[in-house]
Amino acid sequence: MAAIGQASEAVSTSPALARARQRAAHVPDLLVEAHRVANTVIAGWHGRRKRGIGENFWQFRPYVEGESLARIDWRRSARDDHTYVRDNEWEAAHTVWLWADGSSSMLFKSALTEVSKQSRAMVILLAMAEILARSGERIASPGVIDPVSARNAAERLAVALELHDHDKSMPDLAQINRHSDLILISDFLDPSEEVIEKLAPVAKRGIRGHVLEICDPVEEVFPYRGRTEFIDPETGGRLTAGRAETLHEDYRRAYLARRESLSESLRRIGWSFITHHTDQPASTALVALHTHMSGDPTGGIGRAIS
Amino acid sequence: MSALPIIFGAPAVLLGLLALPVIWWLLRLTPPRPKMELFPPLRILAGVLKKEETPAQSPWWLTLLRLIIAALIVLALAQPVVNPRELQISSAGTLSIVMDNGWSTASDWDDRVSTASDLIDDAEAENVPVSIVFTADAVHNATPDSASRARERLQAAMPRPIHSDPRSALTSIATALESEGIGTLAILSSGIARDDNDEAWQNLLALNPDSVRLVERAEPSALALTAANNQANGFSVSASRLDPTAAETRFVTAFDTQARPIANGELVFQAGESAASTLLTVPFELRNDFASIAIDGGADAGSRYLLDENARRRRVGLISAEPIDLTQQLLSPLFYLTRALEPFADLMVPQSEELSGAISEIIEQRPSVIVMADIGTIPDDVEETLFDWINSGGLLLRFAGPRIAGGDDSDPFVPVELRRGERALGGALSWSEPQPLASFSENGAFAGMSQPDDVTVNRQVLAEPSPDLASRTWASLADGTPLVTSRAFGDGRIILFHVTAEATWSNLPISGHFVEMLRRSVMLSRSAFGAQGSVEEVVLPPYRLLSANGAITTPSGGVQPLRMASGNLPAVTFDNPPGLYGTEAGYVAHNLMRADEALFPFAMPQFNGTVETADYARDSSTDLTPYLLTAAMILLLADALIVLLMSGALSRAMVMRRTARAGGSTAAVLLAAMVVAGIPSESLASDEKPGDAEILAALDRTHLAYVITGDDNTDRTSRLGLDGMTRFLTFRTSLEPGEPVGVDIENDPLALYSMLYWPISVNADPPSREAVSRIDAFMKNGGTVLFDTRDALAGLGDGTVTPETARLRSILAEIDIPALEPVPPDHVLTKAFYILDDFPGRYRGSPLWVEALLDTDDPGNRPARGGDGVSSIIITGNDLAGAWAIDENDIPVFPTVPPDPVQREHAFRAGVNIMMYMLTGNYKADQVHVPALLERLGQ
Repeated sequence: MAAIGQASEAVSTSPALARARQRAAHVPDLLVEAHRVANTVIAGWHGRRKRGIGENFWQFRPYVEGESLARIDWRRSARDDHTYVRDNEWEAAHTVWLWADGSSSMLFKSALTEVSKQSRAMVILLAMAEILARSGERIASPGVIDPVSARNAAERLAVALELHDHDKSMPDLAQINRHSDLILISDFLDPSEEVIEKLAPVAKRGIRGHVLEICDPVEEVFPYRGRTEFIDPETGGRLTAGRAETLHEDYRRAYLARRESLSESLRRIGWSFITHHTDQPASTALVALHTHMSGDPTGGIGRAIS
Repeated sequence: MSALPIIFGAPAVLLGLLALPVIWWLLRLTPPRPKMELFPPLRILAGVLKKEETPAQSPWWLTLLRLIIAALIVLALAQPVVNPRELQISSAGTLSIVMDNGWSTASDWDDRVSTASDLIDDAEAENVPVSIVFTADAVHNATPDSASRARERLQAAMPRPIHSDPRSALTSIATALESEGIGTLAILSSGIARDDNDEAWQNLLALNPDSVRLVERAEPSALALTAANNQANGFSVSASRLDPTAAETRFVTAFDTQARPIANGELVFQAGESAASTLLTVPFELRNDFASIAIDGGADAGSRYLLDENARRRRVGLISAEPIDLTQQLLSPLFYLTRALEPFADLMVPQSEELSGAISEIIEQRPSVIVMADIGTIPDDVEETLFDWINSGGLLLRFAGPRIAGGDDSDPFVPVELRRGERALGGALSWSEPQPLASFSENGAFAGMSQPDDVTVNRQVLAEPSPDLASRTWASLADGTPLVTSRAFGDGRIILFHVTAEATWSNLPISGHFVEMLRRSVMLSRSAFGAQGSVEEVVLPPYRLLSANGAITTPSGGVQPLRMASGNLPAVTFDNPPGLYGTEAGYVAHNLMRADEALFPFAMPQFNGTVETADYARDSSTDLTPYLLTAAMILLLADALIVLLMSGALSRAMVMRRTARAGGSTAAVLLAAMVVAGIPSESLASDEKPGDAEILAALDRTHLAYVITGDDNTDRTSRLGLDGMTRFLTFRTSLEPGEPVGVDIENDPLALYSMLYWPISVNADPPSREAVSRIDAFMKNGGTVLFDTRDALAGLGDGTVTPETARLRSILAEIDIPALEPVPPDHVLTKAFYILDDFPGRYRGSPLWVEALLDTDDPGNRPARGGDGVSSIIITGNDLAGAWAIDENDIPVFPTVPPDPVQREHAFRAGVNIMMYMLTGNYKADQVHVPALLERLGQ
């Protein structure tokens, strides 16, 4: 009997991009509701063409009494007799950081599915980039590409990923500004404590995170029987089970407990957590991510807390 | 003899040994190579996967062990045989084969046939004629014939379920081969000797055969069941075997009519003994279901013993009027009946003391026979029940006695009409001598029994002469008067012994004939054939037959009906093989062996030529297959054990056991705690019942008791009278009774008192039937009732009956009482304390009636006679209580008639004597002999 799981080749970004476009076409623009734009400190998604809190200059306007003196732009005020206040454009474009795990464990593909986890992760990543770029957001990838706001941002991201070396399992997240969104796509097979240890400081800086766990159905169902030697694709470690079917219950419990623990920890720091199986279409993951990011009340548990 | 005495039955299988290297290679691969699987969540899996150590390869010696197992199996499948048969070539001349085909040859018939077949093969090779005879067959054809014809006859022969009878077979050979002589005489013996064959053997050996070949088993295993009897405590099974050398244990199983096994037993033959017996101890009901008994693993007719209805034990109910007196067993009829019936019947004694209760209780248990020892009057309410029971096939066996002699004429449960009163033979006033028995009637159940010459009858009840008396008489005395009579009642029967069941009337109960008569009577019940009774020949068709291999089959053509005369089974013959003869409704078991038969080994008769002895063919060669397979199986077990040890399963089991032991000790501690907690509540529970205090008070001292009649005057007189008597007793004797007690005979327990004073009063209501029944039980259990009609002066003459007497008669009509008599002058009552001539009360003149004593022929030199036990009834008319009654000032309440203080004193003395008599029985009768005894001792 052939082995159930196998390591596939890392998928190239260009066909992935094509597939991502197809998927992205089905998903509507990411539009944040008006009330969320008005009432939360968390930045919205579009540049609003009006003053507000933001990083970029919008206009000078005369100082009105009662306003904080700290907001007076002294350099401009010194040029004539009026006192001016410098207004920024209200978050002209939101920055969304995208990252997909490219480690060798992601290359696993079982007989039950048609794509490897890495391939699925890439498709979702690029589809997300496509959707966001279409909506005018700035997209970036930590350690790969800086924030860019362009219609062809997805292509640029794909090119950058192609050139990038994928050996780091978790990128350096220190460069991400606050008020940004972060989308992490991985299989998160490390112990949940380790994952949270890395993500908690990021969350403390006010970055909104969306974690998408990609799993192969085999990892969850554990359909192995008989004498089986298991090999870890990352470390090359080996384990031999005399009768694999006897492990079925114990393994499943441990696997689901890890996911439960990760989900619980992420919920506590206000991030959303989505699980995606590679035997499901990528659109389901896209729709779920989209729902979370656009602030659907039923989806965003974490946001209500923060 | 080849160098290697092993041949293979299937040598081609040995090619399987070539597979051993393949097996070697396969075994070295164990454990199988695992499947390789990529598995990213290995860290999670590592958390749940216990470390499993499996060596990559099993050790070489384990592999070698497995290879040996495989080799052994291959060798076993090749059917190796050690020491194959060696051929015995017969010399020239006719080959004469004497082949036993009796019952014991069935189990190894094939071996015998193959031995004979080998001999015939040899004869064919030598081209000599063959003469073959079978000893158990009816007709023998010893004419020499060709080998092929002989082989045909051999194939047609089969073992018979009967004893082999070599005499006629040997004679037929001797006749047929007289002229041409015998070349080889081959005797294929069953190993069992039969009587009366020596002459036939000598005649045969006189023909001087060239060689004699005796083929028999070196260790004969013939074993036959000889007897099976239903006994009191179990079913005894006996067996006999041929070879008594070694100790041996065989198991026997009893089967019911549906051939279901229902009981097991173990026959243990001691070394050196050829007989053994065992007892199957199973309940009575189950024993009666036995239809046959077989030896486990036995495959011949001797290993199965058939049973018929005679082997069933009858259930017999015993009812007696006599009080059950454990100290005087020899006086109780039950004692003789029990001892006589126990060996072949199951006895029931009713719990109920009342007669009607006892009879219905016995009938409820569905007995085959009810034995009534001297029951005079059967209560009306159970009469119909008893009738129904007899009509539906019950056997009522009655013994006469004083009560029947004194019973009324309307007793329906007697086979012949009886005269009142008994007839005494050989007494002082009689010319006659005690009578011996005549020979038994030819038409009764006792037909065929020898005439007893040691039985004499002193006393009997007589039958009224009638035309059919002779036909109903089974046994009679020498003078022609009947001793045992019987009559059929519906499907049942009533048998009456005209004497008592104990040794007072005759010495029949202590003779051996008593047992046999009872046995035949009891066997009569429910038995389909009057086997013991009929003298004419009975012809029974075969119903089921025993085949040679011990199976029960339906009869086939050649079997003749069984002719049975006087209940004696004929011998087992070719025409009457063992089996069941009769019909489904009733049959007789015809068994191979008799109880007194045994198996004797066959000894070769004297012959001056050489006798070659051999064993049957198949024994000489040894099949190695089972040994090899056993060895392979043992090694396989060892292999399994080694694998378990290596995988550490045993150490894990030990850990589990340790925890289990810890759990067990905890449970034990808990249990102990529960027991300790439970004990006090149980041990402190009181078993007191309401009324215990009264019973204890009544038992502490002897109390005089009187019956509360319901008439206040009478009751007051009774109380005052007994009070006066109590005081008199206390003053004059060492007996110091307690307060007198009034007893309500309807409700109060009567067993607490030894005596009841019952003044008859016509003013009171008559007692109920239940009360009278209780009084009856009280009297049968040893109590005494003193009836006082107080009418000594009221009678107008001898022929008149006062109302009191009429009332007393109506009461006594319900009670089973023996014959009465006025106190004779030498009765112990007259000497129990005072020496008295009469027993006056307020009146003088009425006699005191007591139970009639037996043995009136006693020589007159004894001053007192006591009889056995105490009279259970005393009747007077003298108003004893009236004379005894004194008030608290010790002044008599009533005057005596005539007013005479001496008469009152005598009345008190009469009361003392009655009390002493009741409490001491015939002790005083012995006391009067003390002077004579002392004198004899030389004092």
